[in-house]
Amino acid sequence: MLLLLVPAAILLALVFVAPMLHYVWLSAHANSVLTGLVPIPNQGANWIRLVSDQRFWQDAGQTLRFTVVSVSLEVLLALAIALLLDQRWRGRGAARALTLIPWALPTTVMALGWRWIFNTPYGPLNQTASLLGVAPLNILSNPAITWMATVLADVWKTTPFAALILLAGLQTIPTDLYEALRLEGASQRTCFLRITLPLLKPYIALALLFRLAQAFGVFDLVQVMTGGGPASSTESLALYAYINAMRFLDFGYSATVMIGSFILLLLLCLISWSFLIRLQHRTGRV
Amino acid sequence: MSLKLNNLGRRIDDRWILRHLDLEIQNGECLALVGASGCGKSTTLRIIAGLDQADEGSISIDGIDVTSTAAVDRKVGMVFQSYALFPHLSVAANLELGLKVRGVAPSERQQRVRQILQLVQLEERASQKPAQLSGGQRQRVALARALLRDPMVYLLDEPMSNLDAQLREELRPELRRLVLRDQKPVVYVTHDQHEAMAIADRIAVLRDGQIEQVANPIELYKHPASLYVAEFIGRPQINVLPPEQGVIKAIRPEALKLQAGGIACELLHREWLGASQIWQLKSHLGPLRMLVGSDQTVPESIQVSWAPEQEHRFNARSGKRLAA
Repeated sequence: MLLLLVPAAILLALVFVAPMLHYVWLSAHANSVLTGLVPIPNQGANWIRLVSDQRFWQDAGQTLRFTVVSVSLEVLLALAIALLLDQRWRGRGAARALTLIPWALPTTVMALGWRWIFNTPYGPLNQTASLLGVAPLNILSNPAITWMATVLADVWKTTPFAALILLAGLQTIPTDLYEALRLEGASQRTCFLRITLPLLKPYIALALLFRLAQAFGVFDLVQVMTGGGPASSTESLALYAYINAMRFLDFGYSATVMIGSFILLLLLCLISWSFLIRLQHRTGRV
Repeated sequence: MSLKLNNLGRRIDDRWILRHLDLEIQNGECLALVGASGCGKSTTLRIIAGLDQADEGSISIDGIDVTSTAAVDRKVGMVFQSYALFPHLSVAANLELGLKVRGVAPSERQQRVRQILQLVQLEERASQKPAQLSGGQRQRVALARALLRDPMVYLLDEPMSNLDAQLREELRPELRRLVLRDQKPVVYVTHDQHEAMAIADRIAVLRDGQIEQVANPIELYKHPASLYVAEFIGRPQINVLPPEQGVIKAIRPEALKLQAGGIACELLHREWLGASQIWQLKSHLGPLRMLVGSDQTVPESIQVSWAPEQEHRFNARSGKRLAA
């Protein structure tokens, strides 16, 4: 039976393992315009540089902030939307289809859309602001708040994905369970806390981990919407790796940034995972 | 003191799925609601529980009208077909949750859960999850939860349908003993006529949302009020003869006797039941089922007859029983 896994294993090895190993190898070499794009072993100099690279750590912080804030908002919003879409009401079918539209849109297209919405002074947001007599808001050029705009765009786009996972989870909960508790006099709130939430936990965990990994690797949204600016304030680790390779033509260091951010993501997933496991152990008690 | 249903009706759009339902169930009495699927038996149960609302008629418990009372205040102990146990909670926690919701103090909760687990003999399983239990054990947890409710009425929705045949037979007397322990009315829904006969004091046969007959099992078997009841109750199924002058005659398989000069038959198939056997016969009246002793050998020529008083006679058009 294991033999049947071989084609899939080969594919995975080619697409994931091989590039990764190549990057690990590359990160141990100097390979840039300065070396004439010839890889020269440099005894871990890339890694030493990474550890003391302020821009790397600043980007790591920014990426973490982006990830934590947008994923938390997404899962909370998705839970509310999933609960709504699980109820019986007229037009539910249409609402379910509509919910998915942001998810179906290519990231580049929607990032351009959001960039236009926030455009100063011609975007719809500032047009509305001027109609209301409010001074134009320079959202995409204020380092203190631009990251919030990227979070907003990301939440708008990927909440449907999380909502879909949670809706699927809600539909696995038998209605009998609610009725059994209702007969004891439980309120809606009690039913939610005692049945819905605990039984939805595996699905919440799934949505969280999926989104965590995706958000931490954010590239296209930021590249198109802000280009990492203003003043690198929305630059993500993926964008930094891209800049190192494509702008500075330093492939050795770009690979190092890539592997470094991969390690950070792994750590983040491990921490969330252990947190979720601990939460899981708390069930089984009243 | 009893559970009383008066002229209960339930409609979905323009179709009545339940109509003119009148029933009275005494304290300490177990009434089985039987019928084919879709006959309205589960709907009736859900209306009594307050999980569904009737479109006409009323329900009273101990003389108090509860038609518009919220489910929780009717105090019903319900066993769901799926058992509806909380998969994420241990057996003890499953039982405790209801008490907690009702605001029972923690020390009393634990004590009552312990007592009830003892009663249904599941003390050793207290800390296990439902998934770790057998079907019979899960059913007992569901029953224990209903018992803990300290209900005015017990409602059991096909509680045996997820169990295998042998276990069902074993658990029947135990289930009956437990639900009738505190002398409350018990409504037992099942599609299995055999189970209904075995467990209930009285049986109500439902057909298309209306009651065909309510009677004790013996009466139901011996004097079915309609052809439908006659065919529904009793296995092997009753023999129905072709209508003659507006009358349909039906004869139980055990009433057929081998007798020279009777109706000539051909043996198609023999089924061994152990203590008896079923002969599938072909005659000019159509196929006949005959229940004979296990020692009976097949004679050269099969001729069968029956005593006239063993005939059930029904109006061919309405299906109603005709006076003897």
